[in-house]
Amino acid sequence: MDDNLMTSRDRVLKLFAGEAIDRLPCFSGMGNVTTEGLRKFNYKFAEVHSDAKMMADSAASTYKLFGFECAVVPFDLCVEAEALGCEINVYSHAEDILYPTIKTKLINNAEEMDINLPSNIPSRGRIPMMREVIGLLKNDVGSDVAVGAHVLGPFTLAGQIMELNSLLKSSFKKPDKVARLLDLLADAIILIAKEYESAGADYITVREMGATSDVLSPRVFKSLILPHLKKIFAELSINNILHICGKTNDIALFMVESGARAISVDQKNDVAETRKKIGPDVLLFGNYDPYNILVSGTTDQVMATVRECINNGVNAVWPGCDIWPTVPAENFHAMMDEVKRYRRE
Amino acid sequence: MTTEEKREEILKKLRDAVIQYDEDVAKEAAQEALDAGLDANDAIFNGLVNGMEEVGRLFEAQEYFVPELLMCADALYAGLDILKPHVKKLDLGIKGSVVIGTVEGDVHDIGKNIVKMMFDVAGFDVYDLGKDVPLDRFVEEQMKTDSDLVCLSAMMTTTMVGMKKVIDSIKARNPNVKIMIGGAPVSQDIAEKWGADGYSPDANNALKDAINMISSLKKLKEEAEEKKGS
Repeated sequence: MDDNLMTSRDRVLKLFAGEAIDRLPCFSGMGNVTTEGLRKFNYKFAEVHSDAKMMADSAASTYKLFGFECAVVPFDLCVEAEALGCEINVYSHAEDILYPTIKTKLINNAEEMDINLPSNIPSRGRIPMMREVIGLLKNDVGSDVAVGAHVLGPFTLAGQIMELNSLLKSSFKKPDKVARLLDLLADAIILIAKEYESAGADYITVREMGATSDVLSPRVFKSLILPHLKKIFAELSINNILHICGKTNDIALFMVESGARAISVDQKNDVAETRKKIGPDVLLFGNYDPYNILVSGTTDQVMATVRECINNGVNAVWPGCDIWPTVPAENFHAMMDEVKRYRRE
Repeated sequence: MTTEEKREEILKKLRDAVIQYDEDVAKEAAQEALDAGLDANDAIFNGLVNGMEEVGRLFEAQEYFVPELLMCADALYAGLDILKPHVKKLDLGIKGSVVIGTVEGDVHDIGKNIVKMMFDVAGFDVYDLGKDVPLDRFVEEQMKTDSDLVCLSAMMTTTMVGMKKVIDSIKARNPNVKIMIGGAPVSQDIAEKWGADGYSPDANNALKDAINMISSLKKLKEEAEEKKGS
Protein backbone atom coordinates (compact mmCIF):
# COMPACT_ATOMS: atom_id res chain seq x y z
CA MET A 1 0.00 0.00 0.00
CA ASP A 2 1.22 3.50 -0.69
CA ASP A 3 2.55 5.31 2.37
CA ASN A 4 0.72 8.47 1.27
CA LEU A 5 -2.68 6.97 1.94
CA MET A 6 -2.26 7.13 5.67
CA THR A 7 -0.49 9.77 7.74
CA SER A 8 1.85 8.68 10.51
CA ARG A 9 -0.60 10.14 12.98
CA ASP A 10 -3.50 8.06 11.59
CA ARG A 11 -1.34 4.97 11.61
CA VAL A 12 -0.37 5.36 15.27
CA LEU A 13 -3.87 6.30 16.46
CA LYS A 14 -5.47 3.44 14.53
CA LEU A 15 -2.93 1.07 16.04
CA PHE A 16 -4.01 2.14 19.53
CA ALA A 17 -7.66 1.87 18.52
CA GLY A 18 -7.14 -1.66 17.24
CA GLU A 19 -8.09 -0.70 13.67
CA ALA A 20 -6.46 -1.94 10.46
CA ILE A 21 -3.25 -0.21 9.37
CA ASP A 22 -1.22 -0.42 6.16
CA ARG A 23 2.08 -1.26 7.89
CA LEU A 24 3.67 -1.15 11.33
CA PRO A 25 4.61 2.35 12.49
CA CYS A 26 8.11 3.23 13.64
CA PHE A 27 7.86 5.59 16.60
CA SER A 28 8.78 5.98 20.24
CA GLY A 29 7.38 6.94 23.62
CA MET A 30 10.75 8.16 24.81
CA GLY A 31 13.28 10.79 23.88
CA ASN A 32 14.46 10.89 20.29
CA VAL A 33 16.11 14.27 19.83
CA THR A 34 19.18 14.07 17.58
CA THR A 35 22.34 16.13 17.31
CA GLU A 36 21.41 16.63 13.63
CA GLY A 37 18.16 18.19 14.75
CA LEU A 38 19.88 20.38 17.34
CA ARG A 39 22.43 21.50 14.75
CA LYS A 40 19.67 22.57 12.39
CA PHE A 41 18.59 25.19 14.95
CA ASN A 42 22.03 25.74 16.43
CA TYR A 43 20.73 24.71 19.86
CA LYS A 44 22.87 23.33 22.68
CA PHE A 45 21.42 20.21 24.29
CA ALA A 46 21.73 21.75 27.77
CA GLU A 47 19.49 24.65 26.69
CA VAL A 48 16.51 22.80 25.23
CA HIS A 49 15.12 21.46 28.52
CA SER A 50 13.89 24.74 29.92
CA ASP A 51 12.70 26.68 26.86
CA ALA A 52 9.34 25.75 25.33
CA LYS A 53 10.11 26.78 21.76
CA MET A 54 13.54 25.17 21.75
CA MET A 55 12.17 21.93 23.15
CA ALA A 56 9.31 21.87 20.63
CA ASP A 57 11.61 22.65 17.68
CA SER A 58 14.02 19.91 18.72
CA ALA A 59 11.27 17.35 19.29
CA ALA A 60 9.68 17.99 15.89
CA SER A 61 13.00 17.82 14.05
CA THR A 62 13.33 14.04 14.22
CA TYR A 63 10.14 13.69 12.21
CA LYS A 64 11.11 16.47 9.83
CA LEU A 65 14.62 15.14 9.19
CA PHE A 66 14.05 11.41 9.19
CA GLY A 67 10.31 10.81 9.01
CA PHE A 68 10.25 9.27 12.52
CA GLU A 69 6.54 8.90 13.21
CA CYS A 70 6.07 10.94 16.38
CA ALA A 71 7.16 13.98 18.34
CA VAL A 72 7.92 13.20 21.97
CA VAL A 73 8.72 15.37 24.99
CA PRO A 74 10.43 15.88 27.40
CA PHE A 75 14.00 14.68 26.84
CA ASP A 76 14.92 14.22 30.49
CA LEU A 77 13.51 12.27 33.43
CA CYS A 78 13.36 15.05 36.00
CA VAL A 79 10.14 16.94 35.25
CA GLU A 80 8.00 15.19 37.88
CA ALA A 81 10.67 15.25 40.58
CA GLU A 82 11.22 18.95 39.91
CA ALA A 83 7.49 19.62 40.26
CA LEU A 84 7.64 17.86 43.63
CA GLY A 85 10.44 20.15 44.79
CA CYS A 86 13.78 18.68 43.65
CA GLU A 87 16.44 20.89 42.16
CA ILE A 88 17.87 19.70 38.85
CA ASN A 89 21.25 19.96 37.14
CA VAL A 90 21.15 20.57 33.36
CA TYR A 91 24.97 20.61 33.03
CA SER A 92 24.91 23.98 31.28
CA HIS A 93 28.73 23.92 31.04
CA ALA A 94 28.74 20.75 28.95
CA GLU A 95 29.56 20.77 25.27
CA ASP A 96 28.71 17.06 25.10
CA ILE A 97 25.33 15.45 25.58
CA LEU A 98 24.57 15.15 29.27
CA TYR A 99 21.00 14.52 30.39
CA PRO A 100 19.69 16.52 33.37
CA THR A 101 19.84 14.83 36.76
CA ILE A 102 18.47 15.49 40.25
CA LYS A 103 20.79 17.56 42.43
CA THR A 104 19.12 17.19 45.80
CA LYS A 105 16.82 14.46 47.06
CA LEU A 106 13.67 15.20 49.03
CA ILE A 107 14.00 12.04 51.09
CA ASN A 108 17.38 10.94 52.42
CA ASN A 109 16.40 7.91 54.48
CA ALA A 110 13.47 5.71 55.48
CA GLU A 111 12.58 8.01 58.38
CA GLU A 112 11.78 10.85 56.00
CA MET A 113 9.33 8.93 53.82
CA ASP A 114 6.13 10.38 55.23
CA ILE A 115 5.87 13.29 52.83
CA ASN A 116 2.82 15.08 51.49
CA LEU A 117 2.33 16.20 47.91
CA PRO A 118 2.44 19.92 47.17
CA SER A 119 -1.08 21.18 46.53
CA ASN A 120 -0.46 22.91 43.19
CA ILE A 121 1.51 20.39 41.15
CA PRO A 122 0.18 21.48 37.73
CA SER A 123 1.63 24.96 38.24
CA ARG A 124 5.01 23.87 39.60
CA GLY A 125 8.40 23.38 37.96
CA ARG A 126 8.25 22.84 34.23
CA ILE A 127 4.70 21.43 34.08
CA PRO A 128 3.19 24.69 32.65
CA MET A 129 6.06 24.84 30.15
CA MET A 130 5.41 21.23 29.13
CA ARG A 131 1.80 22.18 28.32
CA GLU A 132 3.10 24.97 26.15
CA VAL A 133 5.56 22.62 24.38
CA ILE A 134 2.80 20.14 23.60
CA GLY A 135 0.65 22.97 22.21
CA LEU A 136 3.52 24.17 20.01
CA LEU A 137 4.09 20.65 18.71
CA LYS A 138 0.40 20.20 17.92
CA ASN A 139 0.48 23.38 15.82
CA ASP A 140 3.74 22.52 14.12
CA VAL A 141 3.48 18.81 13.26
CA GLY A 142 0.31 17.67 15.02
CA SER A 143 -1.63 16.91 11.85
CA ASP A 144 1.19 14.69 10.51
CA VAL A 145 2.39 12.79 13.56
CA ALA A 146 1.10 11.77 16.96
CA VAL A 147 2.46 13.86 19.83
CA GLY A 148 3.70 11.82 22.78
CA ALA A 149 4.79 12.62 26.30
CA HIS A 150 6.25 10.49 29.05
CA VAL A 151 6.04 10.36 32.81
CA LEU A 152 7.93 8.18 35.28
CA GLY A 153 6.31 5.27 37.03
CA PRO A 154 5.86 5.58 40.81
CA PHE A 155 8.86 3.46 41.82
CA THR A 156 11.19 5.15 39.34
CA LEU A 157 9.96 8.55 40.50
CA ALA A 158 10.53 7.46 44.10
CA GLY A 159 14.12 6.67 43.07
CA GLN A 160 14.47 10.24 41.78
CA ILE A 161 13.23 11.93 44.94
CA MET A 162 14.61 9.46 47.51
CA GLU A 163 18.12 8.19 48.12
CA LEU A 164 18.09 5.03 45.98
CA ASN A 165 19.97 2.70 48.32
CA SER A 166 17.54 3.52 51.05
CA LEU A 167 14.50 3.09 48.78
CA LEU A 168 15.65 -0.33 47.60
CA LYS A 169 16.36 -1.60 51.09
CA SER A 170 13.08 -0.14 52.36
CA SER A 171 11.19 -1.97 49.62
CA PHE A 172 12.30 -5.07 51.48
CA LYS A 173 12.39 -3.95 55.10
CA LYS A 174 9.50 -1.47 55.15
CA PRO A 175 7.18 -2.34 52.26
CA ASP A 176 4.20 -0.62 53.92
CA LYS A 177 5.98 2.72 54.05
CA VAL A 178 7.15 2.33 50.47
CA ALA A 179 3.63 1.42 49.36
CA ARG A 180 2.29 4.60 50.96
CA LEU A 181 4.89 6.69 49.14
CA LEU A 182 4.18 4.97 45.81
CA ASP A 183 0.46 5.54 46.23
CA LEU A 184 1.10 9.24 46.77
CA LEU A 185 3.42 9.42 43.77
CA ALA A 186 0.86 7.60 41.62
CA ASP A 187 -1.54 10.46 42.38
CA ALA A 188 1.09 13.00 41.29
CA ILE A 189 1.76 11.06 38.10
CA ILE A 190 -1.94 10.89 37.26
CA LEU A 191 -2.24 14.66 37.76
CA ILE A 192 0.73 15.36 35.49
CA ALA A 193 -0.37 12.89 32.80
CA LYS A 194 -3.79 14.58 32.75
CA GLU A 195 -2.11 17.95 32.26
CA TYR A 196 -0.31 16.55 29.22
CA GLU A 197 -3.52 15.00 27.93
CA SER A 198 -5.51 18.22 28.22
CA ALA A 199 -2.66 20.11 26.53
CA GLY A 200 -3.24 17.88 23.51
CA ALA A 201 -0.88 14.89 23.78
CA ASP A 202 -2.00 11.84 21.80
CA TYR A 203 -0.31 9.22 23.97
CA ILE A 204 1.59 8.86 27.22
CA THR A 205 4.33 6.44 28.14
CA VAL A 206 4.75 5.52 31.79
CA ARG A 207 8.41 4.65 32.30
CA GLU A 208 8.90 2.31 35.24
CA MET A 209 12.43 1.16 34.49
CA GLY A 210 13.42 1.31 38.16
CA ALA A 211 11.32 -1.79 38.76
CA THR A 212 12.98 -3.97 36.13
CA SER A 213 13.84 -7.55 37.07
CA ASP A 214 17.51 -6.54 36.95
CA VAL A 215 16.75 -4.75 40.21
CA LEU A 216 13.58 -6.09 41.85
CA SER A 217 12.22 -9.61 41.98
CA PRO A 218 9.04 -10.38 40.01
CA ARG A 219 7.47 -11.22 43.36
CA VAL A 220 8.14 -7.72 44.73
CA PHE A 221 7.06 -6.23 41.40
CA LYS A 222 3.71 -7.93 41.75
CA SER A 223 3.11 -7.11 45.41
CA LEU A 224 4.66 -3.64 45.68
CA ILE A 225 4.72 -2.02 42.21
CA LEU A 226 1.82 -3.44 40.20
CA PRO A 227 -1.04 -2.13 42.39
CA HIS A 228 0.13 1.46 41.83
CA LEU A 229 0.56 0.98 38.09
CA LYS A 230 -2.99 -0.39 37.97
CA LYS A 231 -4.21 2.70 39.77
CA ILE A 232 -2.51 4.96 37.21
CA PHE A 233 -3.75 3.16 34.10
CA ALA A 234 -7.29 2.94 35.48
CA GLU A 235 -7.29 6.75 35.68
CA LEU A 236 -5.86 7.50 32.24
CA SER A 237 -8.18 7.76 29.26
CA ILE A 238 -5.43 8.91 26.87
CA ASN A 239 -3.64 6.20 24.80
CA ASN A 240 -0.99 4.78 27.10
CA ILE A 241 2.02 2.52 27.23
CA LEU A 242 3.89 0.91 30.11
CA HIS A 243 7.63 0.81 29.43
CA ILE A 244 10.15 -1.19 31.43
CA CYS A 245 13.69 -1.84 30.22
CA GLY A 246 16.13 -4.58 31.11
CA LYS A 247 15.01 -8.08 31.99
CA THR A 248 11.24 -8.15 31.58
CA ASN A 249 10.30 -11.62 30.34
CA ASP A 250 9.34 -12.75 33.84
CA ILE A 251 7.11 -9.73 34.45
CA ALA A 252 5.55 -9.39 30.97
CA LEU A 253 2.22 -10.77 32.15
CA PHE A 254 2.18 -8.39 35.11
CA MET A 255 2.88 -5.54 32.69
CA VAL A 256 -0.22 -6.56 30.74
CA GLU A 257 -2.17 -6.91 33.98
CA SER A 258 -1.36 -3.26 34.79
CA GLY A 259 -4.10 -2.28 32.37
CA ALA A 260 -1.82 -0.32 30.04
CA ARG A 261 -3.08 -0.12 26.45
CA ALA A 262 0.35 -1.28 25.19
CA ILE A 263 3.52 -2.62 26.77
CA SER A 264 7.03 -1.62 25.75
CA VAL A 265 10.24 -3.58 26.28
CA ASP A 266 13.88 -3.24 25.25
CA GLN A 267 16.48 -5.40 23.55
CA LYS A 268 17.06 -7.50 26.68
CA ASN A 269 13.55 -8.91 26.30
CA ASP A 270 13.10 -12.06 24.24
CA VAL A 271 10.18 -10.65 22.26
CA ALA A 272 9.23 -13.87 20.49
CA GLU A 273 8.83 -15.51 23.88
CA THR A 274 6.90 -12.53 25.25
CA ARG A 275 4.57 -12.58 22.26
CA LYS A 276 3.82 -16.25 22.89
CA LYS A 277 3.17 -15.56 26.54
CA ILE A 278 0.87 -12.53 26.17
CA GLY A 279 -1.02 -13.80 23.12
CA PRO A 280 -1.63 -12.18 19.74
CA ASP A 281 -3.95 -9.36 20.79
CA VAL A 282 -1.93 -7.36 23.31
CA LEU A 283 -0.11 -4.37 21.82
CA LEU A 284 3.64 -4.95 22.21
CA PHE A 285 6.13 -2.24 21.27
CA GLY A 286 9.86 -2.70 21.06
CA ASN A 287 12.58 -3.74 21.16
CA TYR A 288 14.94 -1.92 18.87
CA ASP A 289 18.44 -1.46 20.36
CA PRO A 290 18.83 2.34 20.33
CA TYR A 291 22.59 2.46 20.78
CA ASN A 292 24.42 -0.73 19.82
CA ILE A 293 22.46 -1.02 16.58
CA LEU A 294 20.96 2.34 15.70
CA VAL A 295 23.96 4.46 16.62
CA SER A 296 26.95 2.17 16.28
CA GLY A 297 25.68 -0.56 13.93
CA THR A 298 26.13 -0.75 10.16
CA THR A 299 23.19 0.07 7.90
CA ASP A 300 22.87 -3.67 7.18
CA GLN A 301 22.58 -4.37 10.89
CA VAL A 302 20.11 -1.50 11.24
CA MET A 303 17.86 -3.03 8.59
CA ALA A 304 18.25 -6.62 9.81
CA THR A 305 17.20 -5.51 13.30
CA VAL A 306 14.02 -3.95 11.90
CA ARG A 307 13.15 -7.29 10.29
CA GLU A 308 14.01 -9.16 13.48
CA CYS A 309 11.75 -6.97 15.64
CA ILE A 310 8.89 -7.36 13.19
CA ASN A 311 9.30 -11.11 12.79
CA ASN A 312 9.44 -11.56 16.56
CA GLY A 313 5.99 -10.05 16.80
CA VAL A 314 6.08 -6.38 17.79
CA ASN A 315 3.18 -4.10 16.81
CA ALA A 316 5.47 -1.11 16.38
CA VAL A 317 9.17 -0.85 15.66
CA TRP A 318 10.09 1.16 18.72
CA PRO A 319 13.45 1.91 20.36
CA GLY A 320 13.97 0.23 23.73
CA CYS A 321 15.10 3.51 25.31
CA ASP A 322 15.84 7.13 24.44
CA ILE A 323 17.64 7.29 21.12
CA TRP A 324 21.22 8.40 21.69
CA PRO A 325 21.37 11.80 19.91
CA THR A 326 24.50 11.18 17.84
CA VAL A 327 22.65 8.62 15.69
CA PRO A 328 24.08 8.81 12.14
CA ALA A 329 21.60 10.13 9.57
CA GLU A 330 22.16 7.15 7.23
CA ASN A 331 21.26 4.73 10.01
CA PHE A 332 18.08 6.60 10.88
CA HIS A 333 17.03 6.67 7.21
CA ALA A 334 17.88 2.98 6.83
CA MET A 335 15.65 2.10 9.78
CA MET A 336 12.71 4.12 8.42
CA ASP A 337 13.13 2.78 4.87
CA GLU A 338 13.22 -0.80 6.04
CA VAL A 339 10.08 -0.36 8.17
CA LYS A 340 8.27 1.00 5.12
CA ARG A 341 9.53 -1.74 2.82
CA TYR A 342 9.44 -4.88 4.93
CA ARG A 343 6.40 -7.07 5.62
CA ARG A 344 6.29 -9.81 8.25
CA GLU A 345 7.28 -13.27 7.04
CA MET B 1 45.13 -19.86 68.91
CA THR B 2 41.82 -21.61 68.75
CA THR B 3 40.57 -25.08 67.91
CA GLU B 4 39.69 -25.94 64.33
CA GLU B 5 36.16 -26.67 65.44
CA LYS B 6 35.74 -23.22 66.99
CA ARG B 7 37.27 -21.62 63.89
CA GLU B 8 34.82 -23.40 61.59
CA GLU B 9 31.94 -22.36 63.81
CA ILE B 10 32.90 -18.68 63.72
CA LEU B 11 33.57 -18.69 59.98
CA LYS B 12 30.15 -20.23 59.36
CA LYS B 13 28.52 -17.60 61.56
CA LEU B 14 30.23 -14.83 59.56
CA ARG B 15 29.26 -16.43 56.28
CA ASP B 16 25.63 -16.95 57.29
CA ALA B 17 25.36 -13.41 58.67
CA VAL B 18 26.27 -12.04 55.25
CA ILE B 19 23.94 -14.41 53.38
CA GLN B 20 21.06 -13.68 55.77
CA TYR B 21 21.90 -9.95 55.74
CA ASP B 22 22.09 -9.76 59.52
CA GLU B 23 24.33 -6.85 60.52
CA ASP B 24 24.08 -7.55 64.25
CA VAL B 25 25.17 -11.16 63.91
CA ALA B 26 27.99 -10.10 61.56
CA LYS B 27 29.32 -7.69 64.20
CA GLU B 28 28.95 -10.27 66.95
CA ALA B 29 30.74 -12.96 64.93
CA ALA B 30 33.54 -10.58 63.95
CA GLN B 31 34.14 -9.77 67.62
CA GLU B 32 34.05 -13.49 68.49
CA ALA B 33 36.66 -14.10 65.81
CA LEU B 34 38.98 -11.53 67.34
CA ASP B 35 38.34 -12.76 70.89
CA ALA B 36 39.09 -16.33 69.88
CA GLY B 37 42.37 -15.23 68.31
CA LEU B 38 41.39 -15.98 64.71
CA ASP B 39 43.51 -14.35 62.03
CA ALA B 40 41.55 -11.35 60.75
CA ASN B 41 42.35 -12.23 57.16
CA ASP B 42 41.06 -15.73 57.67
CA ALA B 43 37.82 -14.35 59.11
CA ILE B 44 37.38 -11.90 56.22
CA PHE B 45 38.16 -14.21 53.34
CA ASN B 46 36.86 -17.54 54.60
CA GLY B 47 33.95 -16.03 56.48
CA LEU B 48 32.59 -12.77 55.08
CA VAL B 49 33.81 -13.10 51.48
CA ASN B 50 32.80 -16.73 51.39
CA GLY B 51 29.29 -15.57 52.31
CA MET B 52 29.36 -12.91 49.61
CA GLU B 53 30.34 -15.55 47.05
CA GLU B 54 27.19 -17.44 47.95
CA VAL B 55 25.21 -14.18 47.68
CA GLY B 56 26.65 -13.77 44.17
CA ARG B 57 25.41 -17.24 43.32
CA LEU B 58 21.95 -16.48 44.72
CA PHE B 59 21.89 -13.26 42.71
CA GLU B 60 22.83 -15.10 39.57
CA ALA B 61 20.12 -17.70 40.21
CA GLN B 62 17.66 -14.79 40.61
CA GLU B 63 16.84 -15.79 44.15
CA TYR B 64 18.34 -12.53 45.39
CA PHE B 65 17.87 -9.12 43.77
CA VAL B 66 19.43 -5.72 44.33
CA PRO B 67 17.72 -4.91 47.68
CA GLU B 68 18.97 -8.21 49.16
CA LEU B 69 22.42 -7.56 47.71
CA LEU B 70 22.57 -4.15 49.38
CA MET B 71 21.55 -5.59 52.72
CA CYS B 72 24.15 -8.38 52.43
CA ALA B 73 26.75 -5.71 51.66
CA ASP B 74 25.73 -3.83 54.82
CA ALA B 75 26.26 -7.01 56.84
CA LEU B 76 29.63 -7.57 55.22
CA TYR B 77 30.76 -4.02 56.01
CA ALA B 78 29.51 -4.38 59.60
CA GLY B 79 31.89 -7.33 60.06
CA LEU B 80 34.65 -5.80 57.98
CA ASP B 81 34.73 -2.59 60.04
CA ILE B 82 35.57 -4.64 63.12
CA LEU B 83 38.07 -6.97 61.47
CA LYS B 84 39.92 -4.62 59.16
CA PRO B 85 41.99 -2.75 61.79
CA HIS B 86 43.50 -6.14 62.70
CA VAL B 87 44.56 -7.12 59.20
CA LYS B 88 48.32 -7.26 58.67
CA LYS B 89 49.15 -5.72 55.31
CA LEU B 90 49.62 -8.45 52.76
CA ASP B 91 52.65 -8.42 50.59
CA LEU B 92 51.33 -10.00 47.44
CA GLY B 93 53.78 -8.46 45.04
CA ILE B 94 50.97 -6.51 43.36
CA LYS B 95 50.12 -2.95 44.11
CA GLY B 96 46.36 -3.19 43.98
CA SER B 97 45.07 0.35 43.79
CA VAL B 98 41.97 1.41 41.95
CA VAL B 99 40.19 4.60 40.98
CA ILE B 100 36.42 4.10 40.79
CA GLY B 101 33.37 6.25 40.09
CA THR B 102 30.26 6.78 37.96
CA VAL B 103 30.64 9.09 34.99
CA GLU B 104 29.29 12.61 34.79
CA GLY B 105 25.56 12.71 34.13
CA ASP B 106 24.98 9.49 36.04
CA VAL B 107 23.85 9.72 39.64
CA HIS B 108 23.38 5.98 40.17
CA ASP B 109 26.12 4.46 42.27
CA ILE B 110 24.78 1.15 43.54
CA GLY B 111 26.67 -1.06 41.10
CA LYS B 112 29.80 0.99 41.66
CA ASN B 113 29.46 0.67 45.44
CA ILE B 114 29.16 -3.10 45.27
CA VAL B 115 32.27 -3.38 43.14
CA LYS B 116 34.04 -0.96 45.48
CA MET B 117 33.13 -3.14 48.43
CA MET B 118 34.86 -6.11 46.88
CA PHE B 119 38.01 -4.07 46.33
CA ASP B 120 37.82 -2.85 49.92
CA VAL B 121 37.59 -6.41 51.12
CA ALA B 122 40.49 -7.43 48.93
CA GLY B 123 42.68 -4.82 50.57
CA PHE B 124 43.06 -2.62 47.50
CA ASP B 125 43.65 1.07 48.01
CA VAL B 126 40.36 2.40 46.70
CA TYR B 127 40.04 5.98 45.47
CA ASP B 128 36.29 6.42 45.24
CA LEU B 129 35.37 9.54 43.28
CA GLY B 130 31.65 9.01 43.94
CA LYS B 131 28.94 9.64 41.37
CA ASP B 132 28.37 12.19 38.61
CA VAL B 133 32.14 12.59 38.25
CA PRO B 134 33.45 15.01 35.59
CA LEU B 135 35.50 13.04 33.08
CA ASP B 136 38.76 14.90 33.73
CA ARG B 137 38.64 13.91 37.40
CA PHE B 138 39.24 10.26 36.51
CA VAL B 139 42.30 11.16 34.51
CA GLU B 140 43.65 13.47 37.22
CA GLU B 141 43.05 10.98 40.02
CA GLN B 142 44.72 8.15 38.13
CA MET B 143 47.78 10.31 37.47
CA LYS B 144 47.87 11.52 41.06
CA THR B 145 47.58 8.08 42.65
CA ASP B 146 49.36 6.13 39.91
CA SER B 147 46.62 3.48 40.25
CA ASP B 148 46.80 0.36 38.12
CA LEU B 149 43.07 0.04 37.62
CA VAL B 150 40.32 2.52 36.76
CA CYS B 151 36.70 1.41 37.02
CA LEU B 152 34.01 3.44 35.29
CA SER B 153 30.32 2.87 35.76
CA ALA B 154 27.28 4.11 33.86
CA MET B 155 23.74 3.02 34.54
CA MET B 156 21.95 4.28 31.46
CA THR B 157 22.39 4.41 27.71
CA THR B 158 22.18 8.17 28.06
CA THR B 159 25.28 8.34 30.25
CA MET B 160 27.60 5.61 29.06
CA VAL B 161 28.99 7.39 26.03
CA GLY B 162 31.13 9.67 28.22
CA MET B 163 33.20 6.65 29.22
CA LYS B 164 34.87 6.49 25.82
CA LYS B 165 36.47 9.89 26.36
CA VAL B 166 37.87 8.87 29.73
CA ILE B 167 39.31 5.67 28.30
CA ASP B 168 40.98 7.55 25.43
CA SER B 169 42.30 10.24 27.71
CA ILE B 170 43.77 7.87 30.31
CA LYS B 171 45.23 5.47 27.75
CA ALA B 172 46.84 8.35 25.89
CA ARG B 173 48.77 9.37 28.99
CA ASN B 174 49.40 5.97 30.49
CA PRO B 175 48.82 2.96 28.21
CA ASN B 176 49.57 0.48 31.02
CA VAL B 177 46.53 1.35 33.11
CA LYS B 178 43.83 -1.29 33.10
CA ILE B 179 40.32 0.04 32.59
CA MET B 180 37.16 -1.82 33.55
CA ILE B 181 33.78 -0.47 32.54
CA GLY B 182 30.40 -1.56 33.83
CA GLY B 183 26.73 -0.80 34.08
CA ALA B 184 23.49 -2.02 32.56
CA PRO B 185 23.86 -0.65 28.99
CA VAL B 186 27.51 -1.62 28.47
CA SER B 187 28.45 -4.64 26.36
CA GLN B 188 31.58 -6.64 25.58
CA ASP B 189 31.34 -5.19 22.11
CA ILE B 190 31.38 -1.60 23.41
CA ALA B 191 34.22 -2.37 25.81
CA GLU B 192 36.31 -3.69 22.92
CA LYS B 193 35.42 -0.87 20.56
CA TRP B 194 36.27 1.73 23.15
CA GLY B 195 39.51 0.07 24.22
CA ALA B 196 38.57 -0.98 27.75
CA ASP B 197 40.39 -3.98 29.23
CA GLY B 198 37.40 -5.45 31.01
CA TYR B 199 33.69 -4.99 31.34
CA SER B 200 30.72 -6.10 33.39
CA PRO B 201 27.26 -5.68 31.89
CA ASP B 202 25.38 -5.48 35.19
CA ALA B 203 25.76 -5.57 38.95
CA ASN B 204 25.64 -9.33 38.80
CA ASN B 205 28.66 -9.61 36.54
CA ALA B 206 30.48 -6.76 38.24
CA LEU B 207 30.18 -8.72 41.42
CA LYS B 208 31.38 -11.87 39.66
CA ASP B 209 34.34 -10.03 38.16
CA ALA B 210 35.22 -8.57 41.50
CA ILE B 211 34.93 -11.99 43.09
CA ASN B 212 37.16 -13.43 40.38
CA MET B 213 39.72 -10.79 41.16
CA ILE B 214 39.53 -11.64 44.82
CA SER B 215 39.66 -15.36 44.11
CA SER B 216 42.86 -14.86 42.17
CA LEU B 217 44.10 -12.69 45.00
CA LYS B 218 43.31 -15.50 47.41
CA LYS B 219 45.29 -17.85 45.23
CA LEU B 220 48.25 -15.48 45.20
CA LYS B 221 48.01 -15.26 48.94
CA GLU B 222 48.03 -19.03 49.31
CA GLU B 223 51.00 -19.31 46.99
CA ALA B 224 52.85 -16.62 48.93
CA GLU B 225 52.19 -18.47 52.14
CA GLU B 226 53.28 -21.79 50.67
CA LYS B 227 56.55 -20.23 49.61
CA LYS B 228 57.02 -18.79 53.07
CA GLY B 229 56.34 -22.21 54.56
CA SER B 230 58.75 -24.16 52.39
